[in-house]
Amino acid sequence: MSAFLEYVPGKSPLHRMNPVAKLGAAALFAVACFCTSSLVFLMALLAAGLALAAMCGMVRQTLGLVRAVLAFSLILAVVQLLTTPAGVQLVQLPWGYIGTGSLIAALTTIVRLAAAAIPLFLVFYVTKTNDLANAAVKVLHVPYKYAFTFTSTVHFIPVFMNDMKGVMEAQTARGVEFDRGGIVQKARLMVPLCVPLLVSSVRKTNSAAIAAEVRGFNLRTAASGYKEYPMRVLDAAALAGGALLVALAVALG
Amino acid sequence: MIEITDFSFQYREGGEPTVRDINLSIPAGTFVGITGPAGSGKSTLTYAMNGIVPHCYPGDFYGSVLVDGLDTCETALTDLSRAVGSVCQDVDSQFVTPVVEDEVLYGMENFGVPRDEMETRLERALADMGIADLRERTIASLSGGQKQKVAIASVLAMEPKVLVLDEPTAELDPASSQSVFDLLVSYARTHGTTVVVVEQKIALLSRYADMLVVVEGGRVRFADEPRRVLAHADELLEIGVNCPRSTTLVNRLADRGVCERVAVRTVSEACDALEQVVA
Repeated sequence: MSAFLEYVPGKSPLHRMNPVAKLGAAALFAVACFCTSSLVFLMALLAAGLALAAMCGMVRQTLGLVRAVLAFSLILAVVQLLTTPAGVQLVQLPWGYIGTGSLIAALTTIVRLAAAAIPLFLVFYVTKTNDLANAAVKVLHVPYKYAFTFTSTVHFIPVFMNDMKGVMEAQTARGVEFDRGGIVQKARLMVPLCVPLLVSSVRKTNSAAIAAEVRGFNLRTAASGYKEYPMRVLDAAALAGGALLVALAVALG
Repeated sequence: MIEITDFSFQYREGGEPTVRDINLSIPAGTFVGITGPAGSGKSTLTYAMNGIVPHCYPGDFYGSVLVDGLDTCETALTDLSRAVGSVCQDVDSQFVTPVVEDEVLYGMENFGVPRDEMETRLERALADMGIADLRERTIASLSGGQKQKVAIASVLAMEPKVLVLDEPTAELDPASSQSVFDLLVSYARTHGTTVVVVEQKIALLSRYADMLVVVEGGRVRFADEPRRVLAHADELLEIGVNCPRSTTLVNRLADRGVCERVAVRTVSEACDALEQVVA
């Protein structure tokens, strides 16, 4: 994976599915994660997500995501641990206690966030952003300008990151010590770079808008588009599976 | 194909007109090169042809610019775009999709080209630019020259009558620059397309263009066949436009009385001139 949300080619079922269907199914999967507190069910969903990643050949990248989610969810887990006195008391606190229930609640939070993130992460990496936007316009009749805004944003993130890197390298060559100090020091040094970067971003965005306009951006409708995005059996099955997971999650509570 | 009459333009935030009193007549199928010092108004002149001024950059527009009979001032940019294809100076910010195939399809999809015709045009545009093998590639993985060709192919696929390119070889090495010009000339000859190229590399323009326009201080200083424009080598040098080295060599020899002063455009023409002297 060389850049943020850059398409990872492949021939897995998830790669071949209708973009709208896989996004819908992934969203339902995430909803299911938030509709249940059953740790066993969440573990099963997490395992299913990892199996899906293996099918797409993206285990390494997915484990990277899980690590990132873990770092974020640990904060929530600690808060939950300290504020959810439940189960057999393990540690006495001035305002309550940490119990076995607290540990399960914290673990549930971590597993829930990781399980919910994986399918969405996979969908965005195994689907070309253009296909996602075009399918949203064709199938869901989302106005093209909104779909274009999404694709442009994703498209320009690595461009702006490269610009930022270029400015930082130029500054480093002139003696600014970006390679030393902690995060606070780096953040302080980056503040003055925001203005030139903003100016450059506005210019690039303006050029892109003009380039799109001179190629008929305003004429785009739901009927436009070379590629068709038909719903197949696999797509329907994925959506049905997602709905079933939500129903199961609600039933389990 | 392009008729520019008494055209002047001042950007809204500008203190004075960027281009003024421009009169140009460009016949259909002509390959036109525009050159001149930095800040002379070359890009603004092309913006007038593709409608970017006054539609995207507002300002005071005087005179008229007609392209294929359409008044660029009064015709909507989208309608004008059906006749005029544009390639910007910064191709990276021109791309709106991440994959080559999608980028070339983009304009055709918007303009409602029939689906069965899109595939034909897509293949032809990629083949014309010599990048058929890049169809499935992501744009981020391409070299500068390949990106340039993709940007041109994405415009060619719309089959415009006029093609306007702003410094298409700015980031390319000499071999890639020549390759882009070879492909452009070949395409223009085959399809009868009018091509307008802004370019600093005057040797390339002199070799390929049917008409060379030199802009200085917002005004057209010369607009003629390259050979005739290059005959004003000293004046060109004064305004900061270098002649091709072959032209300069023959001029220097002529100054010393070695040969007659003839305006040559290419190395082979310089060789011919020197062979006559030797003979």
